[in-house]
Amino acid sequence: MKVKIKKWTTVATWKWLANDDNCGICRMPFESCCPDCRLPGDGCPLVWGKCSHCFHMHCIVKWIQSQQAQQQCPMCRQTWNFKE
Amino acid sequence: METNSSSGSLLNKRLQKELMSMQREPSPGVSINSHTLHGNSLSQWIIDMEGAEGTLYEGEKFQLLFKFSSKYPFDSPEVTFVGPNIPVNPHVYSNGHICLSILTEDWSPALSVQAVCLSIVSMLSSCKEKKRPPDNTLYVKTCSKNPKKTKWWYHDDSV
Repeated sequence: MKVKIKKWTTVATWKWLANDDNCGICRMPFESCCPDCRLPGDGCPLVWGKCSHCFHMHCIVKWIQSQQAQQQCPMCRQTWNFKE
Repeated sequence: METNSSSGSLLNKRLQKELMSMQREPSPGVSINSHTLHGNSLSQWIIDMEGAEGTLYEGEKFQLLFKFSSKYPFDSPEVTFVGPNIPVNPHVYSNGHICLSILTEDWSPALSVQAVCLSIVSMLSSCKEKKRPPDNTLYVKTCSKNPKKTKWWYHDDSV
């Protein structure tokens, strides 16, 4: 039997691969965005530290900028370095 | 609850989530005094706290006042004991100010009202002798109203 496909529709979902469900700073799910953004996705990305903890980029940048002396990971207090 | 400033939206959303989680899964001896949450503002909370069983504070009741600045959770909350019963403890001044490093230099935005309350319960529970800090009289006479303005000198790592 021969089948001719005339049309198809695909649906895709996406998901961040984070080691936790929620951002430890704003407590919003990683699948949604930080409280300042409206849409999840590339506009409100996740970032990882070398310590392997993960946050919304907007949240961790605000924390780092508010720190005067040492910049530490909010979860483990190790010096914060972005994972490359 | 909508505010125009972006920091306001983080503040309110986070405090709402903390409030809900404290009401849904309360820690033993720690409860939020809902009468004090008036209007739309979540900027001040009163927490009712009970001394843990088997400790020097068993049977005692305390109240904690939490004040949140617009920069919370990047800025630590201002936390003091208030009301008629201020615990007699080497880390608690008679005006309600608490010497606890997570309330100032060791604050992290990953901490929460619940985490702060648990630290305070455990600070009280580890007490072996009920007494005021040695510099209580001088401190209470000279300190700012806001304990966050005090330059704390943390000298006891055992709590």
